[in-house]
Amino acid sequence: MINDITLSYLIFLLPLLTFVVNGLFLGNRNAKAAAAFAIACNGIAAASAITVAIHYFTSTYAPQKATLFEFNFLPFAGDLVAKIGMLVDPLSVMMLVVVTFISFMVNIYSLGYMREDRAMGRFFALLSLFSFSMLGLVVATNLFQMFIFWELVGVSSYLLIGFWYHKPSAVSASKQAFILTRFADSFFLLGIVLVSYVIGSFDFSTINSLSLSDFRSGTINLGLIEMSQASALVLGSILIFTGGWGKSAMFPMHIWLPNAMEGPTPVSSIIHSATMVVAGVYLVARLFPFFAACGDSLTLIMWVGAFTMVFAAVIACTQKDIKRILAYSTLSQLGYMMFALGACKIGQAVFTTGWTASTFHIFTHAFFKCSLFLIAGSLIHQVHTNDLDAMGGLRKKMPVTYICTLISVLAISGIPPFSGFFSKDEIILAAFQGQHYAVFALALLTSGLTTFYMFRLFFLAFHGEPRHEGVRAGHVHEDFAMTLPIVVLAVPALLSGLLGKGLFEKYFTPGNLHVPVMLKLAHAEWIPFVAVAVAIIALLIAWFLYASPKAKIERALDETNRSGIYKVIYHKFYFDEMYYTVVRQFIFGGIARVARAFNDYVIEGLLAFSVWFIHKLGDLVRTAQAGYLPFYLGTLIVGVLLWRFFGQLPL
Amino acid sequence: MFDFSTSHFLIPDLLLLIFPFIVIGSRLFCNAQSKMPWRIANFGFIAIFILLNFIPLASGEGRFFISNWRIDDFGVLMREVLLVSAILGMWFAKDYFEHGADGKPQMHQIAEFIGAIAFATFGGVTVVSACDMLTFFLGLEIATIPMYALTAWNKKDQLGSEAATKYILMGSVATAFELFGFSYLYGFAGSLHFSEIQTAVASGTSPLLWVAVLFLFCGIGFKLTLFPFYTWAPDVYEGAPTPVTAVLSVTSKATAIAFLVVLVFGPLAPIQEQIAPLIALLAGTTLFVGNLGALKQSRLRRFMAYSSIAQAGYIMVALLGPAATAKTAIIYYLFVYAVSNYLAFFVFGIIGHHREETFASLRGLSKQNPSLAISLAISMFSLAGIPPLAGFFGKFHLFYSGASTGHYMLVAFAVLNNVLALFYYIQLIKSAWVDEPDGHLTPLRLTRRQRAVIVALSIAVVALGFLPFLSNNIVAGFSF
Repeated sequence: MINDITLSYLIFLLPLLTFVVNGLFLGNRNAKAAAAFAIACNGIAAASAITVAIHYFTSTYAPQKATLFEFNFLPFAGDLVAKIGMLVDPLSVMMLVVVTFISFMVNIYSLGYMREDRAMGRFFALLSLFSFSMLGLVVATNLFQMFIFWELVGVSSYLLIGFWYHKPSAVSASKQAFILTRFADSFFLLGIVLVSYVIGSFDFSTINSLSLSDFRSGTINLGLIEMSQASALVLGSILIFTGGWGKSAMFPMHIWLPNAMEGPTPVSSIIHSATMVVAGVYLVARLFPFFAACGDSLTLIMWVGAFTMVFAAVIACTQKDIKRILAYSTLSQLGYMMFALGACKIGQAVFTTGWTASTFHIFTHAFFKCSLFLIAGSLIHQVHTNDLDAMGGLRKKMPVTYICTLISVLAISGIPPFSGFFSKDEIILAAFQGQHYAVFALALLTSGLTTFYMFRLFFLAFHGEPRHEGVRAGHVHEDFAMTLPIVVLAVPALLSGLLGKGLFEKYFTPGNLHVPVMLKLAHAEWIPFVAVAVAIIALLIAWFLYASPKAKIERALDETNRSGIYKVIYHKFYFDEMYYTVVRQFIFGGIARVARAFNDYVIEGLLAFSVWFIHKLGDLVRTAQAGYLPFYLGTLIVGVLLWRFFGQLPL
Repeated sequence: MFDFSTSHFLIPDLLLLIFPFIVIGSRLFCNAQSKMPWRIANFGFIAIFILLNFIPLASGEGRFFISNWRIDDFGVLMREVLLVSAILGMWFAKDYFEHGADGKPQMHQIAEFIGAIAFATFGGVTVVSACDMLTFFLGLEIATIPMYALTAWNKKDQLGSEAATKYILMGSVATAFELFGFSYLYGFAGSLHFSEIQTAVASGTSPLLWVAVLFLFCGIGFKLTLFPFYTWAPDVYEGAPTPVTAVLSVTSKATAIAFLVVLVFGPLAPIQEQIAPLIALLAGTTLFVGNLGALKQSRLRRFMAYSSIAQAGYIMVALLGPAATAKTAIIYYLFVYAVSNYLAFFVFGIIGHHREETFASLRGLSKQNPSLAISLAISMFSLAGIPPLAGFFGKFHLFYSGASTGHYMLVAFAVLNNVLALFYYIQLIKSAWVDEPDGHLTPLRLTRRQRAVIVALSIAVVALGFLPFLSNNIVAGFSF
């Protein structure tokens, strides 16, 4: 009775069931029961997902695609039909495991984190809706289904980021996230309309198997200009990517992500690791053959990713809010995944290392990033502040958390044998093989920066003397429900890279490519050594600055108080102080500050300006409506004249 | 029961024609407090609606009655939209005859009120059935004139009278435009009959024709609240009694858009491509101005006026597409729009019975009456076009229709405008969900009828969206 197909239904339906039951019945009455129900359902879903994945990968069927079910959802004119279905292939199976497992962990964690919240029932309902939407997105068989769940992900993130709606900052952050991603989604929708109109199908299988040469001859009228169908497809691919651009918070649409920290920490954790932001990368990975066929779209994707990667890493070095550091680090890691996908193109040919690397990095990143956020939440819960200034000395008080943090931090830094090493190494290799040497150098540099800021966070939070009254007085303990998921997640953070490498290299290829594929690629055994060396140097710098016996942490944290000799020693490495020195302003502080200023004034300013401008126009419309009848009658006459001259009638 | 393949298909129309007289006449035989007219009206409307559903949809030319009364698929479905609107409007109005609301006195003479709605509905039916310009014009006037009376229904209300005066004055000018356009069209084609006009248009154009087109579009632009002919709408929507506003925003709009559909895909079909720029401009400016206007409102009915102006712009986008696609999209959207819009009005109506009809009255609604707040959110998200609610699929059809003839710039503009629209719809949801409740607001009470209708409409909005294939038989299962 229970076979893989029924299990697949379970994965999909249990979170939905949790949402319905908790949302309608349990949530308001008994928050404890709601939490237990959510954890049970998500646990079964995670177990089913893992079972399905094991069956799938051990069967001989493995790398092929299968559609478990599919029915017509919405017929359009002609042959165009929107379907709802469930697609199984290595990528979606991997995502199913990641989403359900992370969601299970976050549910357990929330039991501890949200214990004192009045609206705990609502929280568990929304959390399940979130993972349901993401599951629907990853198993989508076509663009239309993907878009529906894509929007549902947006809506549920809006509800969750603004969960504490009594905080004005949370409300504005949720609004910003929703409207900004919706803005990107409107391009996505246009892309879908354009592409499906040219191709006549929403199905991934059709879209992924086209080649541009079939469309060179036909033309399409886009209103203002007439272009060949091939160019329209390239335009469509860029529009579709724009959807992922906003969802994955790539520069310059990244501003919502750090602000989304206003939500409860479990929400940040799930947004950053398994749902929402990964959706953009997933979209590009899913449609990779299509992007590969569409001219230079991949190059755009690569540069967007690479720029975000460096940009976010530089900002992360200067932050003090623990959650913000993690948020910028997510941006940077997403940049890695995005550019790895984009780097797969050499001239007209493509190779698949980057695709494998990127999906592999989605997998490993999910575990250690989720773990890091949960740890951050745990610290915040104990110390009651996000500020690194007030932490320190937590090693003795929270020993288990300390070990798990070390594992996750080593994983994100790419130190072998932790998981991040394997995936990041492949990404850097992909940049090298793609002969994108500039991006390759940036990736190495960012790898060093990543190690630096992560260890900065680690040392400042756990080492040194306690800088917080509560910690000194010993009011700190480890909560069981909150520590358990952290410990469980430390296992994949340690091992998923080592164990997953073979699996990913064997099964994870983007499917049938209809462009020339490069098989002979440069091998570079020296890359891992260089990457590890960079990471270790960065680690030593961080240690030297923040944890060595000689390090003066108070001084390091206090930017205004710098003694002369000390300053001279640290000027070369110490980012926060460099920020204030003239020489270094042009290098790190300068870049970060310019980037921040650009962020704050130009991008947010543009946003503010458009809002102001629209409001002014709104005022204009309202003023015209003064209730003066002769004016109204006048508009009728003016209207006729207006359309006589501008209506483009051949009069 | 009935064999609708012969001329029995006329039965619903005939019933609808005599129905208002029965309702009004029944008043002569019972006292003022009697519920008789109300019951007759309910029975009559619902019976006609059910009868309509028995008419089998048949593709092709449709069926004719004395050569100038045609019933085709589009006509049947438009009748259903109009009747849904009339029934919901009547149910919505009932409360206003029991006690006053929003600072306005109680209304009287429900029988005549329902009669007027029925006449307006019949006008809409005439528009979609017309085969010649005379019937066509008469239908439009039958649909409009009761609206003037309805606007001024509250004789003691100054604002209502003022609104009705503005409405009737501007409406007369628009009617003059229409007649002017029709006369030129007649002058050009030498016939009143649509098929002959179509032949004449297909065989060549002349300035006469373009003048006619210009004036016809400007005239109907008044009724459809297109830019810049929409100026009456905010004032009339605000001044008229709330149920009349609701009926105006659905029935009147549906009639006007049906008028354009009949015109553009009927007599003017050969020159659709040439008038596409005009349609696109009207659509684009209207939805932009509607959205801009809605941004800055604090009164609910005024807000709904601008929202419905913007919706008219969205519907216009579909007119650019090929006939079958456009008609499908418009019908589906009108169903969705009617349901979502009435849901919003029902919620506002309940607020209005106890408080002022402003944004401030919505504060803390989610705490005092969560189910009402959920319904409000559903209707707003549907009007804003958020998947998976019905409004999204409706808009998708509209945009798809516009895009299928290559008007990507307009569709892009409309989609971007949707983001703007989301902004103000969210303002309203914010008032209901985020703002703290105000202690001075009087509590809300719902009657059984209100509760039932709101639940039914909420389910309809969600169901139409979640399961759009349910509506296959009324939307995509037939071909024009």
